Amino acid sequence: MQSLVLYIGFGLVTASILCIGAIGFTLQFGISNLFNLAFGATMTLAAFIAYVCNAAGLSIWVALVLGTVAASLLSYLLNRGLFVPFKGRSSNLFAMIMVTLGVGLVIQYSIEGIWGATNFSYNMTQGSSEHFAGMVFTNTQLVVIGIAVAEAVVVHSLLRYTKLGKAMRAVAVNDRLARNCGIPVRRVVDATWLLSGALSGLAGVVLVMDVQVLNSNSGSDFLILIVAAAVVGGIGSPYGAMLGSLVIGIVGEISAGFVNAEFKDIAAFVILVAVLLLRPTGIISSVASAKEVAR
Amino acid sequence: MHGIRGAIDRSAVVDDGAARRPRLLGTSSGRRRRVRTVGRLVLSCVSVAGLALVGVVAGATESLAAGASGSKAPLTVAMDVAFTGPTAIDGIAEAAGCYPAIRIINANGGILGHPVKCLAVDTRGDPSDAIPAVEKMLATTSGLIGVLGPESGTATATVPLVSKAHIPQISQNGLSLFDHNTNPYFWRNYPADDVGGVALAYWAHHMHLDRGALFFDNSVAAQGSVPALLRTYKKLGGKVVLHLSVAPDGTSYGAEIHQLIQAKPQVIFTESDPQTDATAFSNLLELGKPLPIYGTNATVIPAWLKAVTKAIGPANMAKYYRGVEPYAPAYPGTKAFNKALLASKSEVTTVKTWIGQEYATTPFDAVMDFALAATEAHSTDPATINKYIMAVTAPGKGKKVVYSYQAGVKALKAGKKIQYIGASGPQIFNKWHNAFGEYGVYKYVNGKLVLAGTISAAELAKAES
Repeated sequence: MQSLVLYIGFGLVTASILCIGAIGFTLQFGISNLFNLAFGATMTLAAFIAYVCNAAGLSIWVALVLGTVAASLLSYLLNRGLFVPFKGRSSNLFAMIMVTLGVGLVIQYSIEGIWGATNFSYNMTQGSSEHFAGMVFTNTQLVVIGIAVAEAVVVHSLLRYTKLGKAMRAVAVNDRLARNCGIPVRRVVDATWLLSGALSGLAGVVLVMDVQVLNSNSGSDFLILIVAAAVVGGIGSPYGAMLGSLVIGIVGEISAGFVNAEFKDIAAFVILVAVLLLRPTGIISSVASAKEVAR
Repeated sequence: MHGIRGAIDRSAVVDDGAARRPRLLGTSSGRRRRVRTVGRLVLSCVSVAGLALVGVVAGATESLAAGASGSKAPLTVAMDVAFTGPTAIDGIAEAAGCYPAIRIINANGGILGHPVKCLAVDTRGDPSDAIPAVEKMLATTSGLIGVLGPESGTATATVPLVSKAHIPQISQNGLSLFDHNTNPYFWRNYPADDVGGVALAYWAHHMHLDRGALFFDNSVAAQGSVPALLRTYKKLGGKVVLHLSVAPDGTSYGAEIHQLIQAKPQVIFTESDPQTDATAFSNLLELGKPLPIYGTNATVIPAWLKAVTKAIGPANMAKYYRGVEPYAPAYPGTKAFNKALLASKSEVTTVKTWIGQEYATTPFDAVMDFALAATEAHSTDPATINKYIMAVTAPGKGKKVVYSYQAGVKALKAGKKIQYIGASGPQIFNKWHNAFGEYGVYKYVNGKLVLAGTISAAELAKAES
């Protein structure tokens, strides 16, 4: 039992990073119907921007903000400059996925070309270990969890209590109807990409803060888990992304502890397949059902 | 070709209803023979003239090219490793060997007067990328005399391709499946991974650390050390209390490290990429239990050392970490290598970190092997060069020992046989084209590797037997 609680604690850290990224990823899908495989590369770029700022003497927390802002702007520009024009040519879903994959590779290799194929680290320490209810966290991990919780609360509040949030939900379900109701769809989409881009940047920087090593593959390696969390939870649903992240993060650690260390990532995908078999639209299916995904 | 057929009066075609044959003007057999003879003569002259013309054009083209460069056509040594992707460090290491070597060779007249260049063939560490890259290299690279690499992850895919083209390759990969290699074109001048496993086990036993746990990632390269490590450690009386094989680049290894701590080992053996081990040992510190960490030669690289130092702190690193690596004291050739390496900073990133490093000196010596073998063979044909690699590296009675390319060429021109001992030391290839020597045990103190001990080849052989 003691070990189980300990593993849940480790899983919460992974789930927190996943949650930040998965919400961003799922917002992009929800609003634009786009499976953005460049998301991981955006995370990496934000982490590198933060690294440059941190190496120049700025505090890691300031660097975090700057990396987040950079990712937000990049995501907005990518959507406006590339994805929207492609969609305007009636490109199908598969073609759009290929476009995002290509963009992601361009960003990743550009990062490698600029900074080289080596590893970097932030100027920061993990801090001391804290014991809490049978779990162990470093100070940095507690901050990461705090950021994830705060981000979830902010997203929830935005979606529930603000006009923009309601407009986002309406556009996610049916953009034509939303337009006909007078919602400025284009502006809502822009705002969503700015927000989701910020989340990708935030996820990229906190990921590196946790694993302490940054290279050109950092975000891309993590993307597959983000996608799994988003899909398990119900693609297009931020609440689903939160739930999916918890499931993937915690089950992964438990399986590594009690079954086999090699099964950590395998467990995530076993869950993904099982959920999709039983409930093709994911655990929370509101947006996916409305978009008729997985039918 | 009408003239060759002779004069044919087509108006004289006779229609006999059975066959239509043109009637030659004049019908005597002698005239026909003369026509055929003249025809053959004309055909021969035209063919010879045509061949001569092709030869002249080709020669002119070559001389134009030669004239443009002012020297013979350049020769190429290809580096068949990853230059991008997770194992891109392999490419940097090969470049740290190749570019200093060609710098020295070209400064001493090239190979038989030919300048030499290095060619990066990026495999990305993945067989699916390596195969087309190597095929393109073989199809499009002129003057290819030898190949450095490949690395462990792509070796099984690309070694057959290069060997089929009869091009020698000298690799620094550690796969144990090459321990009894029978491919005549494949050479390895760096010890196999499993020899590193033997060295780790030996040193742990030497330090009386007889309860060990393994923390290795599940890549092909990392797993190469495991069988020999397990076998030797148990043979020497050690007990393996836990054997973990993990997926690399996870965000947390807390559960795995907790299991490890529960097993109460005295030492952790490891080989993983920098991110994986940094994360894992950060978790180890988080759970409050630093332990001796013994790493294979894959950990004795700047990226790994820096990442793990960042994770556990310099004091813990100096106290608990030991890494094993093939050991070569500075040889006369090492100075020349270091000098040429520092001069190659435009081609090699983080150049200073490769000074004296085996990962760089072994590809350096491999290029020298190609160059000296070509010189002795008086040939730039790669298949011929391959036959002389052993000749220029093996010891022998009456052979002149040389420590530099310049000295080697001088001795060969004087008609002597040579044994080249390079920056990485003697390369004594056995019958399976493998060469390895003694091992050094290193600690990492204040950002520098410091030798903590050595394990002789005899000790390794005894531990392994």
